[in-house]
Amino acid sequence: MKSMNFTTRFWISFSLVLATVLIGFVGPLIIKTSPDAVVGGLYDPPSGFGPLLLGTDNEGQSVLANLVYGTRTSLIVGLLAGTIASVIGLAIGIVAGYKGGVVDEILMGATNIALAIPGIVIIILLSIALDSRAIVPLGAVIGVTAWPWMARAVRAQATSVRTREHLDVARLSGARFWSILAWDLLPYLLSYVVMAFVLQVSGAILAEAALSLLGLGPSNAVSLGTMLYWAIAWGSVRTGAWWAFLPPTIMLTVLAFSLLLLQSSMDEVFNPRLRRGKAVKRRKPPSPRTPEEIEEVSPTAIGGSTLVQPPIGVSRGADS
Amino acid sequence: MNFARYLGRKALWYLAALIIALLLNFILPRLIPGNPVDAIVSQLSRGGGTGGDQLKAIHENYMREFGLDKPLWEQFLVYLGQLAQGDLGTSFAQFPASVNTLVAAALPWSIAIQLPAILVGWVLGNILGAIAAFKGGWFDRGAFLPSLFLSSMPPYCLAILLLYIVGVKLQILPIGGAYSFGLSPELSLEFFGDAITYFWLPFWSIVLIFLGGQAVGMRSMAIYENGSDYVNYGRGLGLRDSKIVRYIFRNAMLPQITGLALSISGMIAGALITELVFSYPGIGTLLFNAISQVDYPVIQAITLFITLAVLGANFLMEILYGIIDPRIRASQSGDR
Amino acid sequence: MSRLVNAEHLRASYHTPDGREVTAVDGVSVHIDEGEVLGIAGESGSGKSTLGAILSLTARPPLYVDSGSLEIDGQTQALDGSSKIPRTWRGSVVSLLPQGAMNSISPTMRVRDLVVDVMRAHNRSVTKDEALDRARDRLASLDLPTRVLDAYPHQLSGGMKQRTVTIISTLLNPRLLIADEPTSALDVTSQKALIDMLLQMLEQKIMSGVIFITHDLPVLRTVSNRIAVMYAGKIVEVGDAEELTTAPRHPYSAALLSSVLVPEPAYRKMRVYGIPGAPPNLAHPPSGCRFHPRCGLVMDECHTEEPPHVGDQLRFSKCFWALKNPGQSVPLKAVTASSLSETDTVVEDDDDTTSRPDDEPSEVPA
Repeated sequence: MKSMNFTTRFWISFSLVLATVLIGFVGPLIIKTSPDAVVGGLYDPPSGFGPLLLGTDNEGQSVLANLVYGTRTSLIVGLLAGTIASVIGLAIGIVAGYKGGVVDEILMGATNIALAIPGIVIIILLSIALDSRAIVPLGAVIGVTAWPWMARAVRAQATSVRTREHLDVARLSGARFWSILAWDLLPYLLSYVVMAFVLQVSGAILAEAALSLLGLGPSNAVSLGTMLYWAIAWGSVRTGAWWAFLPPTIMLTVLAFSLLLLQSSMDEVFNPRLRRGKAVKRRKPPSPRTPEEIEEVSPTAIGGSTLVQPPIGVSRGADS
Repeated sequence: MNFARYLGRKALWYLAALIIALLLNFILPRLIPGNPVDAIVSQLSRGGGTGGDQLKAIHENYMREFGLDKPLWEQFLVYLGQLAQGDLGTSFAQFPASVNTLVAAALPWSIAIQLPAILVGWVLGNILGAIAAFKGGWFDRGAFLPSLFLSSMPPYCLAILLLYIVGVKLQILPIGGAYSFGLSPELSLEFFGDAITYFWLPFWSIVLIFLGGQAVGMRSMAIYENGSDYVNYGRGLGLRDSKIVRYIFRNAMLPQITGLALSISGMIAGALITELVFSYPGIGTLLFNAISQVDYPVIQAITLFITLAVLGANFLMEILYGIIDPRIRASQSGDR
Repeated sequence: MSRLVNAEHLRASYHTPDGREVTAVDGVSVHIDEGEVLGIAGESGSGKSTLGAILSLTARPPLYVDSGSLEIDGQTQALDGSSKIPRTWRGSVVSLLPQGAMNSISPTMRVRDLVVDVMRAHNRSVTKDEALDRARDRLASLDLPTRVLDAYPHQLSGGMKQRTVTIISTLLNPRLLIADEPTSALDVTSQKALIDMLLQMLEQKIMSGVIFITHDLPVLRTVSNRIAVMYAGKIVEVGDAEELTTAPRHPYSAALLSSVLVPEPAYRKMRVYGIPGAPPNLAHPPSGCRFHPRCGLVMDECHTEEPPHVGDQLRFSKCFWALKNPGQSVPLKAVTASSLSETDTVVEDDDDTTSRPDDEPSEVPA
């Protein structure tokens, strides 16, 4: 990948994502105030540059402290759920696509059923059935419901790579099943998987927030969603206490937007032909995928847990 | 001819999905450690205000309803039997109100707001996306970025912002509920005129979110289709641009329909939470209250309704897709 | 024979997003007589399909026509970007028979819908039945089944689809038909069927002239009266089909000929050679004669000077070698001499070679 030239769009979205990651993981180290400490009264307006920079919430706690810790929780849940969903989706998709036949039919049948059942329903039922709603089980619940679209998309890609000659060579040279999947098939799907992972993370963050808004948020930590939950439940919007609901709202929006933008700009990097549309008629840069393969897949962040708005195809991208 | 087979195969898949959804709906609340009825009754007694005899009556009622003394498979059959009779059980929190009445009070509000919002958002979004693709230039640039931003914005975030700006700051529209205090739902012009002011905010926040995603999808599909061979050929044959645009639109619609099918569950979930932000008395708010009161029968009923709505919408979409795209009907081994 | 088409000084370029202009057709003039088939030959990237787009009036961004005029039956139409081309010229005066008919009909419409749309685009008063009757008559007269009208494109085989598209292209009896690689995606049987049909239609005077664009010289030999060979956006040689293919006067034509196999007795003992190097990048075309970096007969002046026009309008070659050896054909061996290795490998010209960023001639891919 020596000739990767990143676009401005990539750098903008990358910086935004980096900024939120810094807020979430470095912020708690700088802001010493505990998110549980009562530092003022009900909805004290912002003042000064201390813990009261963003005022207090309904319990008199620092909104700033809650925001950085909440961002951290949301990121952890997002990364955890995104990883779980990606691993499951990748495993099912790649095995179904490579094996084909009966295995494919069984796996895809299961996937399609899982895709048809609304993820939010399963998440609600699971998180009610679960004893504990700590961060980790919550992330796991979101993760295990978000894989189906990815499995289907990965399968479509794997099916098209499967017929290439180098896989025959690998088979003839006696490579074993898992070794073929890992060394001969996976590299072709990697750029795609990375993009899908970004979508999964963003979807999981939004799903966590949605769950929290319904009152099913993490019980042992503050998240951006639980901040919103309390802000709405205690009427901060109605009373005009903007510092209580605007920070988490903006943070969630920035996270979702920058991750989506990151994904679509990564698409441009991996798929140079998207960058210039049809204009590059006589200079076709080598691309690991042909347009036919790309067309098959327009994964959308749905099904599973995601309450994110989908239809931006991972590989279609949008040229602006 | 092939269409019937296509539909039959689809129907089977959806039936399988429905059965599995029902099974999940049935089994998950029963995974709660201990006997849920005991848990509930002890919770009720802790709240006070309920006498010993009443508690006993409640306990017996639920034991009978759930059939917890029977084996699991029999419980499932009991559950299915009750569903078949349209009986959703009795609410825990608002005993002895039946879940049917609670859902019946909330469902019309949700349908009234979500169905038009999703349809309007889909239609407007596709038109906007198509115009952006064909016009290009400033219109495209002006429409594209806001659409992309809207499409990536969590629905409840937009709802909160709209509520704050339009409802609280500008005070143009009422900020919560579905109708003014003192009125009761009835079929009168006066009530309608009042309710519609409460309708606009949640309605538009759902429309805007959905519109953004559809516009972005339609735009890239139309640009993609615009480069295809049949467009060039149509021009070479001297067809009018309006005609060619119609061809493009028809083909670009196909992935949009799939997109609608795939996003409908997310849409419904998002819309439920939007209701909650505006305290709109629909299913979303009912779900919110049920969760905070650990009212399993109501939660179960709502998840069932969401499942039915999503499966039904998806199935409709498949039919529509089959009608529009002849290749689907012809293909013997479909994707599903 | 009377003159049907005069296309003069055609020049068109692709505008790349980073602001460069790549001239794909550079000062080309062609003419066709009534009832004639003109073949246009060349490698990928020679500009032949771009020429087809200009002549069929279907150039669209990022392709822009910089200059040129098209004269058909005494009517002259300027082709450059600023002049407005009447929509109805397309389809009725000139018509396009596109490359790869696979996707030429929108996948969600039946053939008959397109037939009706095409007829009505040129005459609103035509009814649906009249349009379909016409198509049915046309199909019947060419021994094709009329049921193709009720089919969706995916229900037709490749060959049938291409023939159907041909019928649609010629529905309005265009004066000139531009056939852009119509046979390239077909198997040999379907190729023959299509070519027979085209010649039959020409005989029936459905259209008056055909421009047949292909990289496939043997096909061109059977179908066309005259052949024009294009290289790097320019026509390098024109001549009678038979004469050009047996006695080429431009080293590139000779090289092109030497790189194909023809299933005829005379070719049985010939060796197949490739053309060394790759077509030039048109963003930076070579100086002088554009073929000089790959030419086996290259001379000093080829590097710097534009090659002269040797011959008359009907038979010419743009080449310094042709100027010094008037009337002679290029010896095949000499053209490809530089690429001849001592081994006996049979080397085919890879048709799909895309231009490389550099102009350096590379060795023949073996």
